[in-house]
Amino acid sequence: METSLPWIILLSPLASAVLILLFAHRSKPLSVLLSLTAVFAAFGSTLLLFSSHSVVQTSATWIDLGPALHLTIGLKIDALTRVMLLVVTGIGALVHVYSTVYMAEDDGKARFFGSLSLFMFSMLGIVLADNLAMMFIFWELVGVSSFLLIGHWFTKPSAAKAANKAFLANRVGDFGFMSGILLVWAATGSVEFAGIQENLAKLTVNPSLLTLAGLCLFCGAVGKSAQVPLHVWLPDAMEGPTPVSALIHAATMVAAGVYMLARIFFILEPSPVALGVIAAVGAVTAVLAALMATQQDDIKRILAYSTLSQLGLMVAGIGVGAWGASMFHLFTHAFFKALLFLGSGAVIHALHHEQNIWKMGGLRRTMPKTFITFVIGTLALTGTPGLAGFFSKDAILLAAWHKSAFIFGAALFTSLLTAYYMTRLVVVAFFGEAWTPNAKHGHDCPPAMTVPLMILAVLSVISGYKFFAGSIFGEELFHSVHAAEHVSLVPILAVSVFSIGTAGAWFLYNGRSKDPVKIPLFRNKFYIDELYASLIAGTQDLLASFSSWFDHFILDGVIVRGISGLTWGVGYTLRLLQFSNLQGYAFLFGTGVVILFYMLIK
Amino acid sequence: MFPPITLEILVLALGFILLLAESFSQSTSKRSLAKSAVFCLAWIFALSFFVTSAPANPEPGSFWNFYSADPVSMVFKRIALLTTMAVLVMALEYEKVLAKNIPSAREGAGTGEFFILPLFTCSGLMLLASAVDLVMAFAALELVTISFYVMVAYMRGSHASLEAGVKYLILGALSTGFFVYGITWIFGLTGETHFTKIALKLASLQGSDTAILFALVLVLVGLGFKVAAVPFQSWVPDVYQGAPTPVTAFLSVGSKAAGFLLLLRVLEPFLGVASIAHKILLVLSVLAGATLIFGNLAALPQNNLKRLLAYSSVGHAGYLLMAVACVGVAPSALGSVGATVGFYLFAYLLMTLLSFLVLTIATQHTKGEEIQHFNGLSKRSPFLAFALLVAMSSLAGVPLTAGFYGKFLVFAQAVNASQWTLIALGTVTVGAGFYFYLRVVAAMYWAEPADASPIQVSGLSKMIIVLLVAGIFVFGVNPKPVLSAFQTQQTPLASAH
Repeated sequence: METSLPWIILLSPLASAVLILLFAHRSKPLSVLLSLTAVFAAFGSTLLLFSSHSVVQTSATWIDLGPALHLTIGLKIDALTRVMLLVVTGIGALVHVYSTVYMAEDDGKARFFGSLSLFMFSMLGIVLADNLAMMFIFWELVGVSSFLLIGHWFTKPSAAKAANKAFLANRVGDFGFMSGILLVWAATGSVEFAGIQENLAKLTVNPSLLTLAGLCLFCGAVGKSAQVPLHVWLPDAMEGPTPVSALIHAATMVAAGVYMLARIFFILEPSPVALGVIAAVGAVTAVLAALMATQQDDIKRILAYSTLSQLGLMVAGIGVGAWGASMFHLFTHAFFKALLFLGSGAVIHALHHEQNIWKMGGLRRTMPKTFITFVIGTLALTGTPGLAGFFSKDAILLAAWHKSAFIFGAALFTSLLTAYYMTRLVVVAFFGEAWTPNAKHGHDCPPAMTVPLMILAVLSVISGYKFFAGSIFGEELFHSVHAAEHVSLVPILAVSVFSIGTAGAWFLYNGRSKDPVKIPLFRNKFYIDELYASLIAGTQDLLASFSSWFDHFILDGVIVRGISGLTWGVGYTLRLLQFSNLQGYAFLFGTGVVILFYMLIK
Repeated sequence: MFPPITLEILVLALGFILLLAESFSQSTSKRSLAKSAVFCLAWIFALSFFVTSAPANPEPGSFWNFYSADPVSMVFKRIALLTTMAVLVMALEYEKVLAKNIPSAREGAGTGEFFILPLFTCSGLMLLASAVDLVMAFAALELVTISFYVMVAYMRGSHASLEAGVKYLILGALSTGFFVYGITWIFGLTGETHFTKIALKLASLQGSDTAILFALVLVLVGLGFKVAAVPFQSWVPDVYQGAPTPVTAFLSVGSKAAGFLLLLRVLEPFLGVASIAHKILLVLSVLAGATLIFGNLAALPQNNLKRLLAYSSVGHAGYLLMAVACVGVAPSALGSVGATVGFYLFAYLLMTLLSFLVLTIATQHTKGEEIQHFNGLSKRSPFLAFALLVAMSSLAGVPLTAGFYGKFLVFAQAVNASQWTLIALGTVTVGAGFYFYLRVVAAMYWAEPADASPIQVSGLSKMIIVLLVAGIFVFGVNPKPVLSAFQTQQTPLASAH
């Protein structure tokens, strides 16, 4: 039973995706039913896994090429896997339910649910994999399914473009990831986590190789968890349907990078340089993204930048060695960020796809259920004492306090900004007056949408407490969450920056109909997108002009005309033209022969 | 049970019978020729499972000194048969274009041989798979090449096809010259033409490294041309673009497979000479690196899909050479490299045939082979667009496709052999590959079609396309059956050790 559960969790979404793609895509209700069955089967099996805390491992041979290559499909369940499984299947199940209403009118509903199942399969594959090769394959599959979901409304050019951007940015990171896997593999002779751990000494004897491998692996996380400088795709990915944003671009897929880092932490740990870089990248992402968030007007984009910033915090947590604390924050963040996204989805749904917060206002009266849950999510995210975010952020802050003043300062500043921009969002959208006719007619959505909100709101409150988180994390893992020694100054500082941020935003924005603060640098996201666009265009132009130069100048000019002119004289050139440039080809061929002779028999 | 050579004889006989039938037939449509060829090849394929094996220790002077039929060569034979069937189906789709480009007095005249010539290529490929002697290998290789000369230049009315034919013929003859010269050198050095005996003699030769290397260069030049390795690749873009599309497909699959098969066989004896082995591996690495760079980077600015596939063919030769360059000196390593090359060739075959089949069908409706002509194909025929999406993803190496596994295995070999430069190069070129393959996908799915009329696909082509797509996914998820088919590679040298 124990060994078959992981397979059920992994394969039921795959079965659903395949069935929908092949047979059920003509029937919307059937597709929805299949998808829901699969995700609840996975969720149920995950709950059953919590009946014991032992490590489960099951595997089958996949490729066997003798000593050169031996790969297995292995699934491993330990405490870390259990936490992640619960997040993915739990939030996945809620988002599936919510989507049945949110996507009710959509023509591509069957395709949407098929893609959602495919995503669940790929994500669960990452979580369950016991080796890097398998993880990489599912890592890529997650990229593909995310591509499909972001581009769900592919007739909208912006959605198609966003899907492309996400795919490309992720590819850049994945190359690093693959190189890292190859390095680790070459050094230790294994891709399985257990095997790598056994042979880690072969890698640690060469510190620079170790650092290089660690940084390459980190590249994968930079792409998937949208860290600077590959962060540009995540805000654009908000073009996808809102439930997708909640599931993939807030709670699960983007957290895969953090999960992966926690998994391979034993490889990173011996390299202080790699950890330092990781911490710095995380901290920079956290601060930059939070600054950008303060000046956005689109409700989903504010949440997207907030996600970036919180992911930065988790990565920084890994960098200071507190992977337990990072996983804890990942866990709590998944609930309240999914809540916030689904809440924003409810608002967008009620307001006929209006996403600009300045065209909302006064929603606390017309959408009370959404308002209350949204505020709970906001309070949890900003670190209000007593709610989930406070505990998990505190764990990261504590670890940073012991390790580096710079990281601690950055994290604290991020907390200040978080309190500021989230209060701004709530005040502008839910308080004040309704600024547009649309906003006046806001209404709470049907229960299939509000019930998931309420469940998530409850989880956003309790998921930080030991009675809840402790039982999910298990004794040992939860202990490592709070490994850092307690310093009472840290929570005091955290609460004070929270108060300053919240109060500042409240006084600045209460009752305003226009943004009183205008900082173009933040609003335009530090012009990073523009920089990339010009870089890419420049490179393309360069490549194109180089290849045309090569064609015209070298092939036609130097080789064909030059050589023929020298050897055969002008009269022959005319016949040469008729023959296109066969002589040029033969000349190249001959050169090749000479080079080969030279290389082998010099 | 039959002796294995029966298969080649049957294919040849089929070719001659169909040629005769063609010349005496009154019918203007030659389609039945292709259909009966496919049907008979299917029977021969079935027969291939009922052949006896070759004797382990043949008598001196007997036929079995030239020809062996180990399990791996049987796999190659079957693949050659299946490929030929797919090419013939493609040729059926291509019939209209063909008829337009062949000036003839009577309707349909001069198109019949186009459906029969691939059979001779097929028998050449099958013989090559079994050749254990340089003379046999050379004869088989020329049977393949000469039938290709005819097929490339087949469209007499098309300037591009004729030009491609001339280029291929002249450069091909040049490379054949080098290859034969290499064989004579080897014979001069060792007095043998049998691979096993050459290996034994070469290993015991003292102080003639330069002469051995000289022979090797000549052979490498000849085979480098066949597999389209840089700097012997210059013919590829023009010939691929100019030749009739089914021939291009056959050329990129068949010629490449033949070249690599022979390359591995020929290299084996030379790698047994310890004093020069490292030099050979260095040269192979350089060739692989240059081929990777040229094939993938030159493909970036291409706008013609057929030409793009030509550069992609060069690029894939680069990955295959990368695997070959990882051959260790120990024969056991050769076995796993052989399996890797075999799998890669098989995956390449699936995705290339698929691309060209879709290309053949689609271009008759799109009136062009430029990438922009494929704009909005997903709206005109979701089936073809999806098939091409699968082919392009597999060529680019998206996980869970056969193409990914091929690349994965190649990189695994490179890691094993610590070929760091090649791995770095390979990583960059895979990235470039994603860019130019996915451009095609973007055009099909995100651009608006100029003409939105739907495209119909015939039943036979549909079946082949479905099989190829299924193959790409099935062997992408579970590569085991193909790998183990190639893995029992007991090359003559390995058994002699």
